[in-house]
Amino acid sequence: MKVLLLGEIEHAHESWSSLQTLAELASPRARHRAEFVKECKSGQLDGALVIYRTFDSVDITGRFDEELVNVLPESIKFVCHNGAGYDQIDVHACTRRGIKVSNTPHAVNNSTADVNMFLILGALRRFNPSISALRQGNWRGHPPPPLGHDPEGKVLGILGMGGIGRNLKKKAEAFSMKIIYHNRKKLSSELAAGAEYVSFDELLATSDVISLNLPLNNDTRHKISTREFEKMKKGVVIVNTARGAVMDESALVKALDSGHVASVGLDVYENEPQIDPGLLANPHVLLVPHMGTYTVETQAAMEEMSISNVRCVLERGHLRNVVPEHCEL
Amino acid sequence: MSQRAALLIGAVDHARKEWQDVGKIASKLYEYPEGSREDFLSKCRNGEFKDVYALYRSNQSNGLTGNFDDELLQALPSSLKYICHNGAGYDNIDVPACTKRGILVSSTPIAVNDATADVALFLMLGALRNINQSYQAVRQGKWRGNFQLGHDPKNKVLGILGMGGIGSAVATRAKAFGMQIQYHNRHQLPASEEEGAKYVSFEELLKTSDVLSLNLSLNASTKHIISKPQFDLMKDGIIIVNTARGPLIDEAALVDALESRKVWTAGLDVFEEEPKIHSGLLNNENVVLLPHVGTATFETQRDMELLVLDNLKSAIQKDKLITQVPEQKKERANI
Repeated sequence: MKVLLLGEIEHAHESWSSLQTLAELASPRARHRAEFVKECKSGQLDGALVIYRTFDSVDITGRFDEELVNVLPESIKFVCHNGAGYDQIDVHACTRRGIKVSNTPHAVNNSTADVNMFLILGALRRFNPSISALRQGNWRGHPPPPLGHDPEGKVLGILGMGGIGRNLKKKAEAFSMKIIYHNRKKLSSELAAGAEYVSFDELLATSDVISLNLPLNNDTRHKISTREFEKMKKGVVIVNTARGAVMDESALVKALDSGHVASVGLDVYENEPQIDPGLLANPHVLLVPHMGTYTVETQAAMEEMSISNVRCVLERGHLRNVVPEHCEL
Repeated sequence: MSQRAALLIGAVDHARKEWQDVGKIASKLYEYPEGSREDFLSKCRNGEFKDVYALYRSNQSNGLTGNFDDELLQALPSSLKYICHNGAGYDNIDVPACTKRGILVSSTPIAVNDATADVALFLMLGALRNINQSYQAVRQGKWRGNFQLGHDPKNKVLGILGMGGIGSAVATRAKAFGMQIQYHNRHQLPASEEEGAKYVSFEELLKTSDVLSLNLSLNASTKHIISKPQFDLMKDGIIIVNTARGPLIDEAALVDALESRKVWTAGLDVFEEEPKIHSGLLNNENVVLLPHVGTATFETQRDMELLVLDNLKSAIQKDKLITQVPEQKKERANI
C-alpha cells in the first residue's frame, strides 16, 4: 500500500515513520499546482490509497477543487485532512469520485477557543491603541486611548455551537458573560448547558459581542454582510476565529468606519495572507494571523489524530472519523 | 456640629452627579482639578481648604499633587480626618504617617478585581501563545513573520503570588482554561475559600510554576520581591505576568531573564518607572505590553468612583469608612 504526503509532518515524526511497516510513504516532487497535476497525470503517484494533507499544502496543490480531485490517481480512496476546517476541499467532488475525507475536530477546540477569548477581551477592552502607542514609545498615547468595556454581564452571541463554540462558552462564562447561540439545529439541553437558543436575527439584534464559530461552506459564505451589520446593536464587538469568508470583509470595514461596529478581533481573513487595508488602517481592531491552533501541544495532537486516521485505513480499510458530509456514505 | 467640608483632588468623570450630591451632606465642596504640587501645598498652607474633613484623591491625581508623604500631610488642613483614595493600590500614600496624625484612609478594593483579572488573563493568554511576534508582524504587512509556536494553558501550573481579591479572580478564570492553581500568600486562605488551589511556600511557587502571576500589593517589604535570585530558582522557560505594581519586579533583571529565555515570554501591565519602560522590554518581541490599563473600563471606573464617594459620605455622616485600608484595621481572628 502507498500513502501520499502533501505538506510537512512537524511534530509526530515517530508516529509517521512507524507507518513504514504498513505502507510506502511517498511525497510528490511538485512544488506547485501545475507540476502536481502533471505528476498525477503521468502516473507517477499511481497506487496511492490514502493522502495525508496539511492546510499549508494548498501552496503545492492549490485548492482540492473538482479539477484537482479528478486528476488524483484512481487508487486514491481516502483523504486525511490535518485541520478541523476543510473548506479547502470540495467534499462533494470527493463523494462523486468515491473518496472519503477525514478532518481533526475536537483536537482544535481548546486552542481555538483560547485565541477566541483573547480576541474578545482585547476587542472589548479596546487594547489595540494602547498596545501600539506603548510600542511607539508614547506610553498611552495622545489623545489617551478610549476606555473599554468589562465582559461582565455582556451578552455573547455564538454563531455555530459546535465543539469550539461550546468550549468558548465555558471560558466566556468565567468572565461572567451571558451566552446565547444560534445553530442550524437547537442543541439538547445537556449540550447547550444553559446557553439560550435564539434565531439568527435575534442573535444579531441582542448580542453585545458576536463570535463566529461556524464552518465555511456554500451556505455560510458571507453569512455576515451589510444586511446583518444593519441588524446588530450599535457598538457591537465581533470576533472571528472560524473562516474569513463567513464575513464580508469589505462590508465589515464600512461598518467599522461608520462606528456601528465598535471593534473587532480577527484571526482569519477572506484572502489570507492578504488583509483588507481598511482593517490594517483601523486602530480599533485586533488582528492576529490565523494562529488558532498554533501551539506545540495542539499541533502535535492534530498530527497524531490525522496519522491515526491514515493508520486505520492501512490496518482496517476505513477512517476513524469522516467529515459530516460523508457520514451517510 | 462643626463644619465638615469635602475636597475633590483631580476629576470625577463617571459619577459627577453623585459628587454633587455629597454637597447635600457636606458643609462645602472644594475642587482642585489641576495645578501642581507646589501650588497645592501653597493653597493648603494659605487656608484655602478650611474645614475640609474628608478628601477624594486618586492614583490619577497623584500626578497632580505628588505622593501623600509627610510634607504634604503636614500641609493639609488640621480639620482633615479622612483620605478616600480611588485605587486598589495606594503605595503613593504614607499610611503610617496618616495613622500617626489620626487620619483614616480608604481604598477601592473589590471594585477593581474583575477588570484587573481580565487584563491578567489577556496578558497570560498572549504570553502563553507568544502572540506578540505575529501581532506586530501582521501590522507590518508580514503576515506571521518569524514566529515560534505557543503553548496551551491546559494542565499548566499557574502560581499566584498574592491571593487577595484580584488573585482569586485570576484563579477562577484560569481554571476555566484548564490550569492548575497554586498560590503563595502572607497567610493561607481558609479551606472553604481556596476553591481547589494549593498553598505553597514562596520558594516552591517559584520552583514549580509554569506561569507566575503577580497579584500582591507593593510596600517596603515587597519591592523587588522578584529579582535575579528568584529568577534563578524558576523553571527554564517560565512565563511571567504582572498586573500588580512594576517595582515588585527588578525590571533590569527581568530583561536579562527574557534575553537568556529563562523567562520565555511575559505579559506586563505595569512597570518600575511608569511611564518609562526599560528599552530591553520595548525592543523584546516576546512580551505583551499594556500601559497600565488594569481598570480602564467605563463600568469599573464608575464603580470605583462610586465606592470612593460612598466612603466620603460615610466619613462625613457616620465617622467611619466602608473600605478602610487593612494596615489601619485590627486583624480579625482566623476563626
